[in-house]
Amino acid sequence: MKHINSLAGSIALGSAGIVLMNVLGGCSQEEKKEQNKFLVIEQLTNGKYVVVEEMPTEGPSRAIIRSKDANGTVTERIMSQDEMKNLASQEYNKYQNGGSELNHEGGSEGMGLGGTILAVAAGSLLGHMVGNALMNNSNFANKANSVNRSAYSRSAMGGAANSSGSSAKKSFFGGSGSGSSKTSSGGFFGG
Amino acid sequence: MINLKSIKSIDDKALEEIGFTWHTDSDGSKYVSDKLVLVTHQEAEDYYEAINELYEMYTKAAEYVIENNLFFEIGIPFNLVEMIKKSWENDVHWHVYGRFDLAGGIDGKPIKLIEFNADTPTSLFETALLQWALLKFNNMDEDEQFNNVYDALRDNFRRLITLFDDPELFDERYDGWKILFSCVEGNAEEEVTTRLLQQIATDAGFNTYFEYIQNVRFNDEEICDANDNPYEYWFKLYPFEDIAHDEPELATMLTHVMENQKAILLNPPYALLFQSKGIMKILCDLFPDSPYLLKTSFEPLPVKCVEKPLFGREGANTKVLSSSGDVLKANDGPYGNYKKVYQEYVEFPQDNNGNKYQAGVFFAYEACGLGYRCGGEILDNMSKFVGHVLVN
Repeated sequence: MKHINSLAGSIALGSAGIVLMNVLGGCSQEEKKEQNKFLVIEQLTNGKYVVVEEMPTEGPSRAIIRSKDANGTVTERIMSQDEMKNLASQEYNKYQNGGSELNHEGGSEGMGLGGTILAVAAGSLLGHMVGNALMNNSNFANKANSVNRSAYSRSAMGGAANSSGSSAKKSFFGGSGSGSSKTSSGGFFGG
Repeated sequence: MINLKSIKSIDDKALEEIGFTWHTDSDGSKYVSDKLVLVTHQEAEDYYEAINELYEMYTKAAEYVIENNLFFEIGIPFNLVEMIKKSWENDVHWHVYGRFDLAGGIDGKPIKLIEFNADTPTSLFETALLQWALLKFNNMDEDEQFNNVYDALRDNFRRLITLFDDPELFDERYDGWKILFSCVEGNAEEEVTTRLLQQIATDAGFNTYFEYIQNVRFNDEEICDANDNPYEYWFKLYPFEDIAHDEPELATMLTHVMENQKAILLNPPYALLFQSKGIMKILCDLFPDSPYLLKTSFEPLPVKCVEKPLFGREGANTKVLSSSGDVLKANDGPYGNYKKVYQEYVEFPQDNNGNKYQAGVFFAYEACGLGYRCGGEILDNMSKFVGHVLVN
């Protein structure tokens, strides 16, 4: 009777369930192994970093850091998993104390190297629970998404053409009158 | 009288840590009950069977509405009709999830359909995660729950790619198509629901992103996030009928996006056919002998009945009428302008304080999880969520 009894563990509940158990405490679970990542991280003209490529890898996580010096000369170096872990965990400590760029919404494009690495690879470097707990925070998730350009650079775009800017786009649901949400619990009462 | 079991509540702080911030209603009362409904395995099986059969009936009724052009009769806004037809024609417009609300099913009372929230259902977090956590927190056997919601939804997201084939084939067929998840800003319940769905889709293997609905950008070709990145799927926890009425230009654009096969809307537009309470009249016409249906009509019934707007939510603008048409009970709300249906009145199962219990069963390809709402004569947004535990 699959439909009745299939909540026998964290698998069925996915990562949200693991976060839940973590918070409730006393519910120890095996950590799900995260996929290691190969990242290409590029320095912007403002000195901050963004992720431009992101691939799953069978081996240990590693990153190519592409930076520019004052003369505009591009240098690339490979960062090992241990270095990445080190930076991510320093940034995670800062984040927990409220002192990381990931604590703050907005700001200029990109982030420091530690913040960038933590944003895209917290799960694979520091464990699934940490990764999910971070992504469960909407501020962190938004910031993390903003620093990661890799998902959009994939060539397998399928049906939607990669033609942003081809014609004018519009936003809707603006202004105070058109939203139809109420603020307390439940559905969509007219505003 | 239904059977309840008292349990230890999870404290508000822990709930907030997991994102569940709507634990207290505006009158200060707790939204999540500190009791569980005791449901037998047989009762759970019966819910499962009923919902799968009801969904089949809904798909037949929707087909009937489309074939016979009954959109106007069931209140579908004219500017969504093309979109609905288009979405019905091709399986890629896969219905992700919905929630059936039911009377009966426990305490020896027969299961009766109240309505089907097929477009933008909430209560997902409570049903999928919170009631399971309540068992865990109280050291009860978490297998003893009709709750496969997370798993079923994850598989159903994979079916966006594999369709009727085994969802396990997702990995080899997935081509990187991305889902943009959106809802309005400033409503914690809707945002957590949307982000939970995003999490499940991510677990399924999709590339996903979240953007508040007012920041999503559209033209006839694309649906994009605020940075103009296009998406192949757009999931919006926002009612189609509100887009039709409040943002008609967007309704036209979305129709073009679908015609141009540039993006897929989730839930699909045809979910609005299921969502309209008018379809329950069609169901009664097509399946007059179904044990699950209450008599439903576009005219007041000569028996005690409930008047509901075609697109009301959370019990708003609902009236209980006597057999002679006197108003016995009424809830206000913003949906007064919609056409009405009249549904035969049915008693909900009650506890010994006279509170009434409505079952909510989630559907994601099949019935996949049960929860309860508890309240007064008309269940509204002050009703409470009550989890359940299976007993023999």
